[in-house]
Amino acid sequence: MAVEIDRRSIWVLLVLKGLRPAFFVLLAAGFYYLIKMPTPEGLTPEGKNAIAVFILCLILWVSNIIPLAITSLFAIALVPLVDILPKEEVYGLFGNEAVFFILGAFILAGAVMHSGLSNRIALVIMDRFGSSPARLLLSIYLLAALLSCFMSEHAVAAMLFPIVFEIAKSLGLRPGRSTYAKMLFLSLAWGCVIGGIATFLGGARVPLALGILKETTGRTIDFISYSVGVFPVVVIMLLFGYFLLTRLFSMDIDSVEKAHEVLKRRIQSMGKIGYNEYMVGIILVVTVVAWATLGARVGLATVSLAAVVALFVLRLVRWKDIEEYVNWGIILMYGGAIIMGTALERSGAAMWIAQSTIGGWMVEPWLAVAVLSLLALLFTEGISNAAVIAILLPVGIGLTGGVNIDPVLVTYAIAVPAGLAFTLPLSTPANAIAVSSTYLTIRDMAKAGVIMSITSWVVFNLVARFYWPLIGLGGLR
Amino acid sequence: MKKSYLNNPGTLKIDLMLRGIRLPREDGPLAFYGRAGEGVDIVLPGGSPVNVPCGEEFTRDSPYVLKKAGERWLISDTTGEVEVRPVKMPEFLSRTTGEGTPYSEIATVHGSYVLILPKKECVFFEKKVECSYCAGGYDERPGRTHTVDEVVEVVSAVLEEGVSEIIYLSTGFTEDDDGGIGFLTPYIEAIKKRFNCLVAVEALPPKNNHWIDRTYALGADALLYNLEIFDEELFEALCPGRARFVGRKRYIEALRYAADIFPNGTVASHLIVGLEPPGSTCMGIDFLTDMGVVPILPIYRPRPGGALRIEPLNAEVIIPIYRHLYRAVKKKGINMNWMRDISVVTTPIEGRLIAGEKTGGISGLIEKFYGTRLGLKTAWGLSTLRRKLRVKEIEED
Ligand code: SF4
Repeated sequence: MAVEIDRRSIWVLLVLKGLRPAFFVLLAAGFYYLIKMPTPEGLTPEGKNAIAVFILCLILWVSNIIPLAITSLFAIALVPLVDILPKEEVYGLFGNEAVFFILGAFILAGAVMHSGLSNRIALVIMDRFGSSPARLLLSIYLLAALLSCFMSEHAVAAMLFPIVFEIAKSLGLRPGRSTYAKMLFLSLAWGCVIGGIATFLGGARVPLALGILKETTGRTIDFISYSVGVFPVVVIMLLFGYFLLTRLFSMDIDSVEKAHEVLKRRIQSMGKIGYNEYMVGIILVVTVVAWATLGARVGLATVSLAAVVALFVLRLVRWKDIEEYVNWGIILMYGGAIIMGTALERSGAAMWIAQSTIGGWMVEPWLAVAVLSLLALLFTEGISNAAVIAILLPVGIGLTGGVNIDPVLVTYAIAVPAGLAFTLPLSTPANAIAVSSTYLTIRDMAKAGVIMSITSWVVFNLVARFYWPLIGLGGLR
Repeated sequence: MKKSYLNNPGTLKIDLMLRGIRLPREDGPLAFYGRAGEGVDIVLPGGSPVNVPCGEEFTRDSPYVLKKAGERWLISDTTGEVEVRPVKMPEFLSRTTGEGTPYSEIATVHGSYVLILPKKECVFFEKKVECSYCAGGYDERPGRTHTVDEVVEVVSAVLEEGVSEIIYLSTGFTEDDDGGIGFLTPYIEAIKKRFNCLVAVEALPPKNNHWIDRTYALGADALLYNLEIFDEELFEALCPGRARFVGRKRYIEALRYAADIFPNGTVASHLIVGLEPPGSTCMGIDFLTDMGVVPILPIYRPRPGGALRIEPLNAEVIIPIYRHLYRAVKKKGINMNWMRDISVVTTPIEGRLIAGEKTGGISGLIEKFYGTRLGLKTAWGLSTLRRKLRVKEIEED
């Protein structure tokens, strides 16, 4: 562990230190007040308590003053404590299919990375297809998108980053100056972000949305339907992203010969493809096929867990190797968010909030999709995309009681844009990783990201309005 | 008439260090304590401790005599006498550790602080680039490395006996990139974990500033990188090891950085008075105080049998340097309460006596308070709080 010395005035530090306890005291007082206040009309006492817990979690999730997962655990403890749901039900909800699906997906992605398969695929594709600056750029972009369809986009960004960084170095690109380097790192980040919304596997936030949808309405979306629904958004955004990159920045190099030397060296150092890589690859393919074909019948989580068992039966990974790839915090966060969402729904609080805030004027379904997707896009720039879903989705689903709109559409309208964070490094780890290269400045990212965000909102709404009815998805008047 | 320094404890301290003292023969061996068995430790009027040479040849000509008058002890010269308090040998120094090492091999008392050397070694001797004025006895073969447990045992005894609240750890001198902090880390951690005392660290400037952050985060309350000589050419000539392995530039950079990290008045550097012209020492004082570093000025005395033969300066020449020291430190607003009451050097706060200034009011009270045990405990508490607020642990990338 390294240390850093904060050199601000000691008085500033003291005040800042004092702010934290003061914040918690205020929060506790506010929570107590909400619990004790008379129940507003149209709301049950459980609903009022659920709103109090929701506001508390909302503040903690948005401020990130304690880890997201800990806020979720807090929610789990509070829901039975203030009599919103019985404790047996609360802890039962944690065993949601979405939680186990994510757990399985994390382990599978961990095995793919640990075996070196993902790295090999990345290197070989870049080496094979990246013969010119434009083609190398495109191969990084599409590769990031493709890999993010199968594993967490954060993991993909982290995996590709050292390769892209080495390529930039080998080409002698100057940090902060070279426009080609900016393109490379933006293509890495955008590829991950756009690819990450294509399937359930990218950001693992869609399973969270599904978990909330299932627990609150009993409805669900299957693996294939989801991908078919977002496919046009992914394709249009990928095309537009590439177009924008090449318009905003120029390619200030003529040859990528040096980059190939790096790629070749790396490929050589990996040696021949081994048994583990083959087997993990086969399990990955079989699992994806099973998710698509059997997912609806046997459950996505069942397929994930079967794949995990296969990995261990065939001794392709050890538990120790996998532990570091599994984001246990996210799993806890998801469990808690699902419980919170269910508590809001069952107590009638979600509907009450939706009706008394946006429900009154959001009478048209297309308007609801437009507003919810805009809110999700804006929120996701500042807070974790899982938190966006935990906050917006229960309220969005509550809205469906008053507006003639399918809760499935609301789930899309929030879960998809929640993944489309292009503007800031803090929006998503893929952006942060790209900016950390120092080849790309925050300003570069923000400038291009704003255009991408606006475009993605327009594209998403056009797809919702004109394409979804064609595939029988809801239907917006 | 011959000039007498008896009436000013500041000037008397300097003259005593320069000329030594003659001890009464008729009283037999004195139970007074001297640094590493050398000299006697005496507390002068006003509370300044001083380690006074008494065994060396030159002390025979000293005008000062220590004598007993009833229960009182006096220092006299040809013009008069002044009452002093010789320091009794602390009891802990006669003990041995569980592993059989005499405590006195590990620790020495230097007035307000206890110096602990976990390992006595200077790599410059091995490389034949030692400082030509070196009198630390580092030329002997490297001593045994004392274990953390031994050091903790000694510190515990020091604190129990109430000898001091400040533990001064020195690295010895190594050629590691960390300046020796890596070696001292387990000792600092062990002391800080067990005791509520202040820890000062003397080391070589590390190659990289993150080691300075680390030193602070570990629990060091004060830090010393001793430049010793300000003049560039003399530094290279007299400190070839420091010049080659660290370099004057790095000393300055590291001191500047440390002064920004550590509390005001806790980063110090020795400048030896008498190894360079007084004007150069004064420039060094100004330079260091500009950076917020406390200059500490030991007085050069030739080592018996040593190759370097520079005639030591006399008190007339030296005293204005200390006056300048006090004024420079005061002008730059550097806190003088940390580096004080050291028996082997005159500190800036004692320079005030030389400058003939008196402190009264609040600052006088604060100064007195920090000289007490409670004051030192308060300093420890504030220092710990400051560290808690400032140090952030970050994930290594
Ligand atoms: S650094 Fe110089 S003065 Fe210190 S022990 Fe080594 S040789 Fe002696």
